[in-house]
Amino acid sequence: MYGWIWRHLPGNAWVKALISLLLALAVVYVLFQYVFPWAEPLLPFNDVTVNNQ
Amino acid sequence: MSVRLIVRTVSELCITVGVVIILFVSYVLFWTGVTADSAMNDQIEQLQRQWSQAAVGATAAPGGSSPKKPAPYVPGRPFALMYIPRLGFTWNKPVLEDTAVDTLKKGLGHYAGTAQLGQEGNFAVAGHRRTYGDPFKDFPTLRPGDAVVLTDGTTWFTYRIDKGPYKTVPTDIEVIDPVPRKSGYQDPGRYLTLTTCDPEWGHSHRLIVWAHLDSTQPVEAGKPAALRR
Repeated sequence: MYGWIWRHLPGNAWVKALISLLLALAVVYVLFQYVFPWAEPLLPFNDVTVNNQ
Repeated sequence: MSVRLIVRTVSELCITVGVVIILFVSYVLFWTGVTADSAMNDQIEQLQRQWSQAAVGATAAPGGSSPKKPAPYVPGRPFALMYIPRLGFTWNKPVLEDTAVDTLKKGLGHYAGTAQLGQEGNFAVAGHRRTYGDPFKDFPTLRPGDAVVLTDGTTWFTYRIDKGPYKTVPTDIEVIDPVPRKSGYQDPGRYLTLTTCDPEWGHSHRLIVWAHLDSTQPVEAGKPAALRR
């Protein structure tokens, strides 16, 4: 999987490494900004009320 | 060749899932605290701006000596600041109207439909025990006699805890009744209820403390005794 991505990135090894880093950062950003805020309320830490208002 | 490819891909997927789980744990434990702290500071700034504008208006038209009923709270908006010296001398959090999930990310939530601050009835507030800044992390250290101080910009309200922490189940909505029976209060009065989850990282129970309004003083008179070192 990662090998396939690496082979399809353009440029020499340094450019590929830089693009990989940017891709990884983009994935982390999407996770923190959209995926985790959606998933977190499914955990029990939000239940602090007595009537589920 | 193909077996090797499958094994490699499955391994890579496992590592990826592991990394995502670690990231999620660090999000829940650490990042929600960072965002909640900045959201709470925003709310506190909003309140202070609001109050400084209201103060200008108040001097133009001085109100009567009797405390008038406050305006209805706007859902999701801050209206008061809470101080609990037992939870830390610098511990103060904004109190917002309603207990929606998004509201509780920005501060403590006032149960819609319960009494307003300082009014007859039960002023009930919920807060996170863990995650989102851990506002009620040290909830079990609260003891009868501890002060819970609130201000709405014009008045300081000092409540004194009478009972708690009391452990109950999530369906026990009686605890935020105007006269909560299990608190030991018999007569209508000006009460305060705080609720959070228990155990610390679970949701099977709730922890409750009850307090009564001990004293009020205008903000011009300075901080109440409970907040002075």
